[in-house]
Amino acid sequence: MKIVGVAACTSGIAHTYIAKEKLLKAAKDLGHEIHIETQGTIGTEDELAEKDIEEADVVILAVDIAITGTERFDGKKVVKVPTSIVVKAPKQLIQKIESELNK
Amino acid sequence: MLESMDLKNVINRENVLVDIEGTTKEEVLKALCNQLFNTGYINDVDDFYADVLAREEEGLTGLGKGIAIPHGKSESVINTTIAIGKTKQPIEWVSLDDKPVEVILLFAVKNSDATTTHIKLLQKVAIMLADDEFLVALQKAENEDELFGMITQRD
Repeated sequence: MKIVGVAACTSGIAHTYIAKEKLLKAAKDLGHEIHIETQGTIGTEDELAEKDIEEADVVILAVDIAITGTERFDGKKVVKVPTSIVVKAPKQLIQKIESELNK
Repeated sequence: MLESMDLKNVINRENVLVDIEGTTKEEVLKALCNQLFNTGYINDVDDFYADVLAREEEGLTGLGKGIAIPHGKSESVINTTIAIGKTKQPIEWVSLDDKPVEVILLFAVKNSDATTTHIKLLQKVAIMLADDEFLVALQKAENEDELFGMITQRD
């Protein structure tokens, strides 16, 4: 799968980045391509490229707050979860998404 | 290597404490806040402590594996840093795995950081914490030097 996503937590200090790292690792381990943007206390980093969004099979929003730029994902399959789900069980989340997509 | 040297400039060895007394989350957080005040990283214990508790209300900070990452972003923070504490006994904490906590990394962030350098360094710590094996290793640290070294000298 090609995955893009955004991570953002309440204070944008720690969980955002832990969630990003967990998603990157889990996706890599499972053989998927992934790009994750963070919206934290110091703003947006690793902003998603238009091309990556276009090619993505799924958009994972690991967010505890309202984020900006969701219109970029109009028409895409979007899975929205709290950062805690990603921190706790990133692989299971991606596997579940994969099996849903393959249905 | 350059990066690990930088982390040493942000995390002060004096703000790494093991054998923290106390049986509640509040007592332990207060001890770490006091230490940050004593080392000159915050200028108002009550104000910063209140901010940390407010953040606790917003969502769980227990990562599982006995590690918690409470954090406060407040006017009373003079320099962005992390205080690290290990408690004498497991502390009840709302965690992803519903288990008590023994190692606490308290993120103290300046309300308006002129540069993003410090926050970028804190991000490095957050990224380390995405590694479950690292969490387990942190819990096994026996003294201040070991704990400090694990976080600041990790490649």
